[in-house]
Amino acid sequence: MSTTPRSQRSRAGTVAANTVGVIFVVVMAFPVYWVLNTAFKPASEVLSFTPSFWPQNPTLDNFRSAIKAPFFLVDLRNGLIITSTAVAGAIVVGFLAALAIARFRFYGRRALIVVILGVQLVPLLALLIPLYLMLNQANLTNTLFGVTLAYIVLILPYTVWTLRGFIAAVPRELDEAALVDGCSRWQTFYRIILPLTGPGLVATSIYGFIQAWNEFIVINTLNNPETQNLMAWLLQNQTQRGTAWGPLMAGALITSLPVVVFFLVVQRNIAVGLTAGAVKG
Amino acid sequence: MHAVDSPATAPPEPVAPSTPDTQGARVRRRRPEWTPLFLALPALVLLAALLAYPLGRMVVLSFQDLQLRHLFSGATPPWVGFDNYTQILTDGVFWSVVLRTAVFTVVSVSISIVLGLGIALLMGRVSNGVRVAMMITMMFVWAIPQLVSAQIFKWMVDADFGVLNYLIDQIPGVDFANHSWFADPTQGWIVITTLVVWAGIPFLAITLHAGLTQVPQELREAALVDGANAWQSLRNIVLPILRPLLVIVTTLSVIWNFGLFTQVWALRDSKPEQEYQTLATYAFTQAFGRSEYSLGSAISVVTVLLMLGVMAFYVRQMFQIGDVD
Amino acid sequence: MRHRIGIAAALAATLLGAAACGGSDEGGANDTSAQALDGKGKTIKVWLMVDAQSSWKEVVDDANARFTAATGANVTVEYQQWANHLTKLDATLAGNDVPDVVELGNTEMPKYVFSGAFAELDKNRFENSANWLQGLSGPCELDGKTYCVPYYAGARVLIYRTDLFEAAGVKAPTSYAELTAAADALKAKNGASKKFATFYMPGAYWYAAMSWVYAEGGQIAKKDGDKWTGTLADPQAQAGLQKWADLVKAYSAGDVTKDENDQAQIFAQGESAMFYGNGWEVGAAQEQRKDPNDPNSELVATKVKDKVAAAPMPGIPSFLGGSDIGVTAKSQNQALGAEWIKYFTDTKAQEALLAKAVLPNATNLLDKAATVKGNEATALAAKSSWFVPMAEKWADVEKAAVLQQMLRDIVTGKKSVADATAWADGEIEKTLNG
Repeated sequence: MSTTPRSQRSRAGTVAANTVGVIFVVVMAFPVYWVLNTAFKPASEVLSFTPSFWPQNPTLDNFRSAIKAPFFLVDLRNGLIITSTAVAGAIVVGFLAALAIARFRFYGRRALIVVILGVQLVPLLALLIPLYLMLNQANLTNTLFGVTLAYIVLILPYTVWTLRGFIAAVPRELDEAALVDGCSRWQTFYRIILPLTGPGLVATSIYGFIQAWNEFIVINTLNNPETQNLMAWLLQNQTQRGTAWGPLMAGALITSLPVVVFFLVVQRNIAVGLTAGAVKG
Repeated sequence: MHAVDSPATAPPEPVAPSTPDTQGARVRRRRPEWTPLFLALPALVLLAALLAYPLGRMVVLSFQDLQLRHLFSGATPPWVGFDNYTQILTDGVFWSVVLRTAVFTVVSVSISIVLGLGIALLMGRVSNGVRVAMMITMMFVWAIPQLVSAQIFKWMVDADFGVLNYLIDQIPGVDFANHSWFADPTQGWIVITTLVVWAGIPFLAITLHAGLTQVPQELREAALVDGANAWQSLRNIVLPILRPLLVIVTTLSVIWNFGLFTQVWALRDSKPEQEYQTLATYAFTQAFGRSEYSLGSAISVVTVLLMLGVMAFYVRQMFQIGDVD
Repeated sequence: MRHRIGIAAALAATLLGAAACGGSDEGGANDTSAQALDGKGKTIKVWLMVDAQSSWKEVVDDANARFTAATGANVTVEYQQWANHLTKLDATLAGNDVPDVVELGNTEMPKYVFSGAFAELDKNRFENSANWLQGLSGPCELDGKTYCVPYYAGARVLIYRTDLFEAAGVKAPTSYAELTAAADALKAKNGASKKFATFYMPGAYWYAAMSWVYAEGGQIAKKDGDKWTGTLADPQAQAGLQKWADLVKAYSAGDVTKDENDQAQIFAQGESAMFYGNGWEVGAAQEQRKDPNDPNSELVATKVKDKVAAAPMPGIPSFLGGSDIGVTAKSQNQALGAEWIKYFTDTKAQEALLAKAVLPNATNLLDKAATVKGNEATALAAKSSWFVPMAEKWADVEKAAVLQQMLRDIVTGKKSVADATAWADGEIEKTLNG
């Protein structure tokens, strides 16, 4: 890792910078620490006018309570089904479109790119009303399938755009060499492009997973608790009469866990994916 | 964590516009190409059915008056021409929402970008250990789902049980017991902005830090040798090189913050008061809270139109920076 | 618009009438009527609010059992959370797979009755229907027809700390002057603690604030012909709001932007002497579930256990909250749905509810409620009660948080009572007439 030429900087400067850095870390990390602290406290310590900065009697009760709460497990299952189906769908459809954009010149290509870049910026929320009416007419509200469709469209533009980058990075000479060697189009695709874009596919699908996993506005409007995901569950649980903060924070931790894990797996690709592809955050 | 330090180098985007990528395909095949259209077809169908069609439907709706009873009975709502638009465009509340959303966007994006850039620069100055700690912390913050972070903040600023009031109250002579952070909209918006900036900094700082590592070391050292101070080196060398990246992340932040919904929604208990409405929550409240679906659609149409300028700018930037064409 | 509802309602009435009239009017002699209610192999879907699950599940189970024994049909009960449940109801009712029976808060009901969401019911088939509480049955009525059935009611009372009252040498107040005198004494005695709230009153608690408005003879809005007029700026209403605001400013340390949702939890911390709550909150303040998500988990005593009592709020009429329950217009099992409601709201079920610190749906049962320990104060309070304007769009006023914002502006001093009420009247008129 290249570093700044510390030799030329004063030692005092580094100390000052480190101090600011440490303060930054403390401030940034405080909310994360606080949610952990809350989640492991028994209810009597959570709801206290004098908050303790460490659980006096650490307990897993909040986690048990969250898991046992109505719809938690159902919504967990729904979230997994919806998210993985949507990601799989978006990856298949998106990869084909990305291939078209990255490897072919054709009439309307530029228009397609503009559409794909542009639609990422139309807030999904703005489309919620017609989407809701449409799915309603098709009897698809309150179904996992309806939301899955909506989520495919939510992550498709980003998927296409990012995959386009990965495919473009595969040297064209490889395709051509394969074609010269007598490979068919399909074989070129199957033997050359697909294996070489493998890591890109993983990164893109994980990011898609995070997007779909975190979505709650659409699903909360279209579906009932029995067909919602964990984010919607969190929202419901929050605004219920008299919030139970302990279980809520425990539920929030459980809900964030897959996202955090996946995030750490693909972090190196995300910054680029975002700046290159731009997704709704 | 070292890999994290240079995310921009990992994947494929060549920053320099590359031109020659067309020849291969074009030389080989002159006849009209059906394969790409065929490949793009599924995506096009999906986008048309679930984006283009709803978009069109939204425009249509904004000229109708759809009420709950039409929804229940399936009856066709009556046409009302521009009534919905007249109603919102002549409503002071709507304009105050637009203004509030715009002000929030400008303020929150400015703070985020300045802080993000500052942290990115700071990461170049600190010791390795501190940098890794900063990186790890930011990764975690970045990974936390928006709704969850909003709930964490709601819990921390709770008037009765929140830790923030407790901590501030410990300062001698300060009475923050039961302080309500949302009674005064200015304070409420400070909380919301803090949340948005807190959650936004990791993306900005990490991306910009990655961009900074691309600035050739020799250039900066040369500048220092030439007697440039840190500020001059930043202004004359670093910022120009970072410019394309800064433009993109700023545009993205504008787009995200302009659509602010989740944070307000969670912090205000799914029932934001007028002073906390943004365009997104306002449209949602009109449509799904008050069952004024048509009014909500009209607000969404206006929102999309307002965004169009930013979008056009963004798409143009992407064409300029990427190797798109 | 009206016209269309009329037709829809008439249509629903004919459909339902065909199925329902056999049930009780013509008696069991008629074979077809028996068939109409033979629900073997059928399952009706019921949406109840979560309170039924957390507080009186056995009442639901008992009604289900009796219903199944009588008709052979099964019941699936789905419990809904209060947050956002209307959005969900809208989505569901717009589709075809609808619940047969739906519970709604009595302030939410009018919008749905006006929109043709519920089927007409034959009032006479339900027990005690002649004595239904007006605050509950009012929202069910449209053009002389009945579209839902009162389920339960709640009234708000003064809940106070007996030990603090004793220490301060005061008794449960019987007039408003006594109340403020007691508050002064309590404040003098305990006011040293920064967290201490003599009278905990969160600022967005509009059910409470409006009670003060009605106490002074004011009201929220009134209907002149076809048009609603906001009346909060009237002198009586302003006087009531001023009196309420004075109480908040002098005695409450609560968050002015909070509503009453967690007031029992806050009271349980032992730093308040009084609050204005529902009857069931007397219990909620003293004991809380170990696992808040599990209604069967053990109860844990709070700091104020055995130190809490309730009394009618002196001189302040109570908002009569509660729930109604109706059969959806799109239900395929309307007769069965109505039958289930019959069991769920009959005297037997209502008497079981009394033990849960809620009030029955009919006046003739109120006296009985007053004899149940812990219900005395609420039953008394229910006799002097008020209700929100019976307007189609009243629920929208609640959704838009108009009253909450007005109250906050008054309590924080951002606006004068006159300005805040004038603004609220404007918003209310815009919404109700819109």
